[in-house]
Amino acid sequence: MNVHDEMSENEVLRAASKSLSALPMASPPDVDAIMASGRARRIRRRSGVAGLSVAAAGTALALGLTGVFGSAPGTIRTMSFTIASNANGTATLTINPKVLLDAAALQSDLRQYGIPAVVTSGSFCSSGFGPAGFSQVVRVYPVPGPRRHILPPGVHATFTINPAAMPAGAELSFGIFRFSSGEQQTYLMLVNKNSYTCSSTAPSQLPGSGGEVEFRPR
Amino acid sequence: MSSQQTEFAAFFQASWEPCLRTVVVVVGSAQLAEDQVAEAFARAWASWPKVRRHPAPRAWVVRTALNAGASWWRQRRRELPLADHDLTVSGGLDGGLDAGLLTAIWRLPRRQREVIALRIFLDLDNATIARQLGIEAGTVRMHLSRGVTALRHELTPAKNMEAGNERPR
Repeated sequence: MNVHDEMSENEVLRAASKSLSALPMASPPDVDAIMASGRARRIRRRSGVAGLSVAAAGTALALGLTGVFGSAPGTIRTMSFTIASNANGTATLTINPKVLLDAAALQSDLRQYGIPAVVTSGSFCSSGFGPAGFSQVVRVYPVPGPRRHILPPGVHATFTINPAAMPAGAELSFGIFRFSSGEQQTYLMLVNKNSYTCSSTAPSQLPGSGGEVEFRPR
Repeated sequence: MSSQQTEFAAFFQASWEPCLRTVVVVVGSAQLAEDQVAEAFARAWASWPKVRRHPAPRAWVVRTALNAGASWWRQRRRELPLADHDLTVSGGLDGGLDAGLLTAIWRLPRRQREVIALRIFLDLDNATIARQLGIEAGTVRMHLSRGVTALRHELTPAKNMEAGNERPR
């Protein structure tokens, strides 16, 4: 490897570092909680108690951290999605790409977090260009491309939704399509509550404020 | 607070973010990574006399977090055999990110992501990465080279044009 290649590699790594470092990370949990968990582990180990498995301990710790970060109204976990409230009033929706979304359950559960939504399976509801402000209401992680983003295997689509930023008279429209190939696509945009139409055809392109995420099965 | 507690607390505060970023890159889920890293730090405190003497304690935490994730994962699969990814990810994205590059990173094979993340966030050399991953240093170089080549493709639009806009997988 010559000097030029070495520098190029470093440049690439610097660019990757810069982008990855810009990803927001959770603040560290209370070190006392971490040490308490570690202490309990040490005691169990010394006493020879085979009680909690590694996995169970991890789950218990995770539950404890949920309390630390604040979680009202808590976390809802289903086969196809998880919704968790964040301390700043937003809610984070994570979709399991391998399980078809339960539209009715998602719509009902989103409302528990103060997020008005119309969720449809096999159709998509839209209202023209829709109300403005999509980017203030929803952030998609990983960031989709300008029109379509194909998620790599094993990466989960996450939507951080801010209900406080929802324009008056608007709600979120989720349209879920499952194709014979196994691919699941979710289309998302803001619509006017009292003025939208639904189509059973997956849109080839979303007008203006929409986002689109395509799930590719592993 | 004892001197060991003070020492661990300082290590934890300084190491939480780089360890978390490393694990996020590997597992692709912020919430899962948080759980795994928190669990790993708890284990680190449980074994602090050993971990504090480790040549790369942050790498120990990352390795433990990833191993804990595997255990956590297997347990979850037993509990919910149909729901193998009911995970929560918190946080959104701020501006100024290179979305294409991030996508390219997550498209890399897991081993390449591990090597790159350990290099970027823990500043480990190839030999240390190799010891942590249980592979040869030459294999680390190979994964790093392949990963960088794939990312370079994303960073150089001219090459993309020549290749018909195909992105490496």
